[in-house]
Amino acid sequence: MSVNQALAQVSGDFLIAALVIYSLAVLAFAGDFAFGRPSRAAAGSARDTAEAAARVAELTAVGAAAAGAATGDGGAATGDGGAAVAGGADGAIPPGGAAPAAGLPSRRQSAFRAIWEAGPWVRAAVTLSAIGVVAHLVAVVTRGFAVHRAPWGNMYEFVTALTCVAAIFFGYVVVRYRAWALGVFVMGAVVVALGLAETVIYTAAGPLVPALQSYWLSIHVTAMTLATGIFFVAAVLGIMYLVAERYRARVAAGKAPDGNGLLARIPSSAQLDKLTYRTVVFGFPIWTFGVIAGAIWADQAWGRYWGWDPVETWAFITWVLYACYLHARATAGWRGRRAHYIQLLGFVSLTFNMLVVQIFITGMHSYAGVH
Amino acid sequence: MFKAKRRTVVSVAAVAAVLLAAALAVTLLTQGSGKADAGYVFYPESQRHIVPDFTATSLTGTPINFASYRGKVVVVNFWGSWCDPCRSEAPTLSVLSEQYRSRGVSFLGVDVSDTPVNALAFTRSVGITYPSVNDSGYSVTQDFSQVVPISGTPTTIVVDRTGHVAGYIYGGATYSALNTLLGDVAVTR
Amino acid sequence: MTDVHTPRESASGETEATRPFGENETEPDVSGSGATAGWPRWAWRQLTSMRTALVLLFLLALGSVPGSVLPQQGSDPVAVQQYFASHPGLAPWLNRLGLFNVFAAPWFAAIYLLLFTSLVGCVVPRTLRLAGSARTPPPRAPRNLLRLPHSASYASALAPSAAVDAAAAVLGGQRFRLRRPGAGDATFWVSAEKGYLREVGNLLFHLALLGVLVSIAVGGLFGYKADKLLVEGQQFYNNTTALDEFHPGRLVSGSDLAPFRLTLNSFSASYFTTGESRGQPETFHAYVTYSPSLGAPARPYDLQVNHPLSVDSTKVYLIGHGYAPVFKVTNARGQVSYQQATPFIPANTGTMTSDGVVKAPDASLGFIGVFVPTGIMVGGTLESVFPAPDAPAVSLVGYSGNLGMNSGVPQSVFQLDTTGMTKISGSPHLLLPGQTWKLPGGRGSIAFTGYKQWVSLAITYDPGQVPALICGILALVGLLLSFLVRRRRIFVRAVPSGTGSVVTVGGLARTDASGGFEDEFASLAAELAVGGAAGGPASDSREPSNQSETGA
Repeated sequence: MSVNQALAQVSGDFLIAALVIYSLAVLAFAGDFAFGRPSRAAAGSARDTAEAAARVAELTAVGAAAAGAATGDGGAATGDGGAAVAGGADGAIPPGGAAPAAGLPSRRQSAFRAIWEAGPWVRAAVTLSAIGVVAHLVAVVTRGFAVHRAPWGNMYEFVTALTCVAAIFFGYVVVRYRAWALGVFVMGAVVVALGLAETVIYTAAGPLVPALQSYWLSIHVTAMTLATGIFFVAAVLGIMYLVAERYRARVAAGKAPDGNGLLARIPSSAQLDKLTYRTVVFGFPIWTFGVIAGAIWADQAWGRYWGWDPVETWAFITWVLYACYLHARATAGWRGRRAHYIQLLGFVSLTFNMLVVQIFITGMHSYAGVH
Repeated sequence: MFKAKRRTVVSVAAVAAVLLAAALAVTLLTQGSGKADAGYVFYPESQRHIVPDFTATSLTGTPINFASYRGKVVVVNFWGSWCDPCRSEAPTLSVLSEQYRSRGVSFLGVDVSDTPVNALAFTRSVGITYPSVNDSGYSVTQDFSQVVPISGTPTTIVVDRTGHVAGYIYGGATYSALNTLLGDVAVTR
Repeated sequence: MTDVHTPRESASGETEATRPFGENETEPDVSGSGATAGWPRWAWRQLTSMRTALVLLFLLALGSVPGSVLPQQGSDPVAVQQYFASHPGLAPWLNRLGLFNVFAAPWFAAIYLLLFTSLVGCVVPRTLRLAGSARTPPPRAPRNLLRLPHSASYASALAPSAAVDAAAAVLGGQRFRLRRPGAGDATFWVSAEKGYLREVGNLLFHLALLGVLVSIAVGGLFGYKADKLLVEGQQFYNNTTALDEFHPGRLVSGSDLAPFRLTLNSFSASYFTTGESRGQPETFHAYVTYSPSLGAPARPYDLQVNHPLSVDSTKVYLIGHGYAPVFKVTNARGQVSYQQATPFIPANTGTMTSDGVVKAPDASLGFIGVFVPTGIMVGGTLESVFPAPDAPAVSLVGYSGNLGMNSGVPQSVFQLDTTGMTKISGSPHLLLPGQTWKLPGGRGSIAFTGYKQWVSLAITYDPGQVPALICGILALVGLLLSFLVRRRRIFVRAVPSGTGSVVTVGGLARTDASGGFEDEFASLAAELAVGGAAGGPASDSREPSNQSETGA
């Protein structure tokens, strides 16, 4: 079957539309950052106290290693953990009356109400992002129909699809954790990636070479696309964690005023740490599944399930580095910053695999289609 | 304090030593089977396996029936005109084939991965008079590999008068090796 | 491995409640002066510690890097040779370090073997402990449940013992493991614990990884890989003479090969002829007939990429294809010395411009040639513009003299050694199908009579393949279990209050991986309250540690 050029054109147009809409959304997120509701800034100090108490409670309750907490998250343990009741009651019997804590507000209200109440910038940003995601999805789906197969057969399609996954996943994070403060960074990264896709690595819609004509394309590459999109978000969160952590350390050392400036608006480093961890935990099994599916497909196509082809090797290195991160989080002295360096190194390895190894290092995996 | 530092040094040394030991162990365990150099195997009578009968076509198109060689000692040489060690041993085989003709020894070539035109060009140029089977389909090779571990060309197999494999030479056959092998076989059955 | 924590001494009654879930997870103090324990024990503890696992994992990743950026002997030996040629000083040193065969190098093996030793040394004791903990009851309920991260209380119309019994019934119905007060304890409480599957999943994941390693080893010992190039019309039997390349495992001998026969009847490739993807391959079909063993009926098969042929648990894969132009060479005396479809190797898989040699030693002639399926002359050089054979042509450079093939030293059939030969004038000479080049000086002639196509097949047998897959899937299952299952404890205490009792409920969970325990606790407490009969939910519930739960 030949390529449906009309649909391919539609796909390209919708992708450009998505790019433009995302850019506007990033501007709106930035606007919220700069000019958003002052109540969030004021709540900064309350958040920190609550957080410190929370950390103490967690420490005593589940027996965190003192060493790990001290080096990783810092923060003096004040007061008696169990007795310190800060606000943010949630879901117990009956719902507590305390006000929602700042930083990442509580889940008590419905998501849409919370977004509505967060101010015009957030409303605009979330709405624009949602519209952008719809346009993005249309672009991906029409590309699939145009080429009569799963639309991730070359680098351009892969980046388009994974940024769509990242945007949707981020949408889920915004709704579940009220994390629109992260919008500027995550959606900003999506815009940059899509911009690269449109310019540097664009490939016209076309059929697949025989080696890629297999139902495993839908399984292996889909899993890798999903996992990459999720690790993309985790990487952005990790960078934000490092920024937040440095800020927190400076505040603790008295070098920077508390509750001041842009940095006070992003969630605390402890929350970012947890969110990043949960994101990686979500992505890691998918990446594992993708590698296994890739091995099964390699056996079908090339006669061996693992041959240390450069792309296979770097997928393995990426897997090991994320496994390193998960181990580091459980090792005293390696939690906090060091673990995040490892996680970011894992994402660097993933990106290197995608952009450098697949294109420049010849191997059996050179299906990027980039000339 | 000093004890801790010493422990660090010792632990690093221990890790290095263990890594080295593991590396050595792996090297020893994964030594692949090396390429066999020219070698010679002789089977005493109790260990000889029978060669299945086969019919095949010679390079010139005439049929060859292996069963008709019963009662003679047969030197079966696997070769190809493209195979340099086979070309190099061919004069030796030619000489020995003449030498042992009167003692009831026949020579039979099995030409593999080749075409009759190319093979005949070679036998013509080197003066080989004994026939060869055109085994471009590898069926004769397959028959023999059930009883002899042939691993490529050249391989020279000696079949005794009752049709059992008495021995073989892998790699290029030298005059002394084949002569000795034939001597051992020809005096027996 | 999952979190390892040292239990922290805190307010009374809580130490035991917060005792690590089901097993002793104390990370031993390996930096101290454990002189009494002795060096071997200390060394073993070092090896099986998380820190060592972390370092080894990192080394594993780092060690894999050169294996992907330097050419490797196993997958591209030609590139290795080229590297030696272009880096004459550096290459031998890299070779000594094993960097051209990283994944088979002893030092790489040492890393993963140590890693797996560390893994086994950690996992086996934990498995035994998990088995043991199945016999250990949950800890006793602490005195003040309201100090726990999740707590609630309600009034119940039932007497304390009945209220606790009702609660226990609810918890037991949800498959919690229960513990009741002992003989000497006059208070009313029940402890419940759940979520052992998490540790099971964790151990399963790590043991499955070990299984993958073992499966790979089994495949490497008992399996083999082989290559065969077949021209249209040719057949072969699966034996070591017929195979072009044979890489057996250590414990494999020639007689272990499945004795199938395979014939290539024809090969067809189709390419896109229009549009942006012009010249890109569309489909490949290798139409073969095969017979699993001598005497078995022959069966046809359409062998394609992604559709291997499976014979007797041996698999045959279509790897590549190319053209084999047919040449007929006559010698000076006019005798035909060479007639064969000669496989040429594609130098450019896009256009299928292919290189090859014709060796006719018995005519003292050799030719180095370029074959193009759709050829045009570009400034004196023959080039191909399309991979399908629409206008085949061949360009030959001729040599006469001694090809050196009688010396006994094996040569590649794709290379011509021209030392000792003289180039024939008139080279390079272009031939179209059907044309003959009469060589000057009466040396003979070469005719290009036509072409056939060839396929390259990979034949593999790997008994460890299916076990490796099963272990991989088990690893994934274990991973999911260890991430999704939460370990949690619920405590219920009842004290008399008037005619009924006041019941307090406390909850404790390992919350790192998946949140949501607060929801589970909330609904569980509601259920207990309802089960505690009249009075309903009352008074406060406190969630002091919410910051860690809610937002993140």
